[in-house]
Amino acid sequence: MARIRIEPELSAAVVFDHVSLSMPRSRRRGGQGTRQRLRRLAGESSRQQVPVFSDLSALILPGQSVALLGGGRSGREELLRLAAGTLVPDSGKVRRQGRVIPILDDSRCLTPSYTTRQNIYLTAGLLGMTPEETTERLDWIVDMAQAAKWLDSYLRGAPRNMRQRLVWTVSMATGARIFAVEKSLVIGHGEFMERCWSHVEGLRGDGVTFLVASDEREVLDRFCDRALVLRGGRVLADTTVAEGMELLRSTKRPGSTDQSDDRDDN
Amino acid sequence: MLVARDLQRKYRNFRLGYLWSILEPLGMTTVLWFVFSVLLGGRKLGEQPYFLFLSVAILPWWWFTKGISASTRVFRGNISPLTISLLPTEISVVRVLLVSMADFALSLPIIVFAMVITWTFPGPLIVLFPVAILVQMILMYGLGLFVASVSALVPDFARIVRIIMRAMFYLTPVLYAIANIPEGARGFAVFNPLVSILGLYRIGFWPTESEGAVAFAVGLSVTAIFAIAGIITFRRLESRILKEA
Repeated sequence: MARIRIEPELSAAVVFDHVSLSMPRSRRRGGQGTRQRLRRLAGESSRQQVPVFSDLSALILPGQSVALLGGGRSGREELLRLAAGTLVPDSGKVRRQGRVIPILDDSRCLTPSYTTRQNIYLTAGLLGMTPEETTERLDWIVDMAQAAKWLDSYLRGAPRNMRQRLVWTVSMATGARIFAVEKSLVIGHGEFMERCWSHVEGLRGDGVTFLVASDEREVLDRFCDRALVLRGGRVLADTTVAEGMELLRSTKRPGSTDQSDDRDDN
Repeated sequence: MLVARDLQRKYRNFRLGYLWSILEPLGMTTVLWFVFSVLLGGRKLGEQPYFLFLSVAILPWWWFTKGISASTRVFRGNISPLTISLLPTEISVVRVLLVSMADFALSLPIIVFAMVITWTFPGPLIVLFPVAILVQMILMYGLGLFVASVSALVPDFARIVRIIMRAMFYLTPVLYAIANIPEGARGFAVFNPLVSILGLYRIGFWPTESEGAVAFAVGLSVTAIFAIAGIITFRRLESRILKEA
């Protein structure tokens, strides 16, 4: 693993050490329209960089479940990716005690033209599991994701919520001690959701660390014991979920001005 | 594992399946042989038998082109798996290179076929054939990394690569022999690592088909330089590639 260094002797789970990061403005947004095209011709070869974090520091201790709060552009997904190591900061350092498993937007890493089984191996492989390990845990994955019926048919034909279940279950099957979760800490409805709950709460009781970037109040209230409020590229507050939410609401107004600035030059 | 799956997917939709990896280059070789040997037979190009001469070089060339042009697409299009991939980023490039190499391996029976129909068999220097494969792998690893990372950030680069590849096809002794290179251009040809590599492939059949030790050493060094340059470029651009995902 050239890119992602793991330091088992670290006493914290994840350390963000004066991290700065800027991201290129999304190509998808700036793609169409004559104006954008002209601008590109005029030498936008170095695409506009939008600062996401400036000198952000945070310490996540083992066993904590940390809620990341912030608006749409506060960079929560980027922070999760930095933690996992699928993004590299421009300056500063991210250190991690063990493998950090990212659970991001579900369907992105799946290939509809592969079968469900192949997708399981593929995703597990991306997360660093060997084929043997995957085979070993295949029964658990299939059972948990309720995928037996579609195991050898193309994922294209399987129900859509199947994808989310697959990614979630495979990520859990890695047996990692740190998870970076975007939105889908628990997924599905009814009975399935209950199974998710009992699984993640079991892990939490077991001292597994969670970083959660969700907006679902109930989930955060039930699960997280700490909240980091992100604003303007820094940690605005390190507090509890209830207070963090309150803070977020009360500072929305001043905060939204810099967001509208952002939108203007699109 | 991924490679096997890619191949499976690639050929699944065709009735002749894996046979295509043989038929395609075979067709190509036949056409070129027909044009350059039968139609333009007046001027002697390369060594005899020309069909074998051509196929020995065109298969590695095919591998080279396929692999490099596939590399230009690695970090474009759907690269979102990178957002969760804990594997080294290079793997994606290695994967497409291995797919193209598997295609090459599958097409090797063409050379055997060409040996049989022309009833020409190689001498002891054929042991250099695997060496050629190895050198080509190193070269392609470096170039592939370079091409993949640059075209991730500058989409136009993929087109430029395509033009360069087309030009290289004629600038490299695929259709002709090293001996056909005019004296004045020999000095430049030395710096084209593919000249050395193709020479290694052919030397088992035509011992004269080599540029000599010095030129070969230069070719090898250029290969090494390409490999190192590719790795360095990739390292420097990796964080920016990840941001595109």
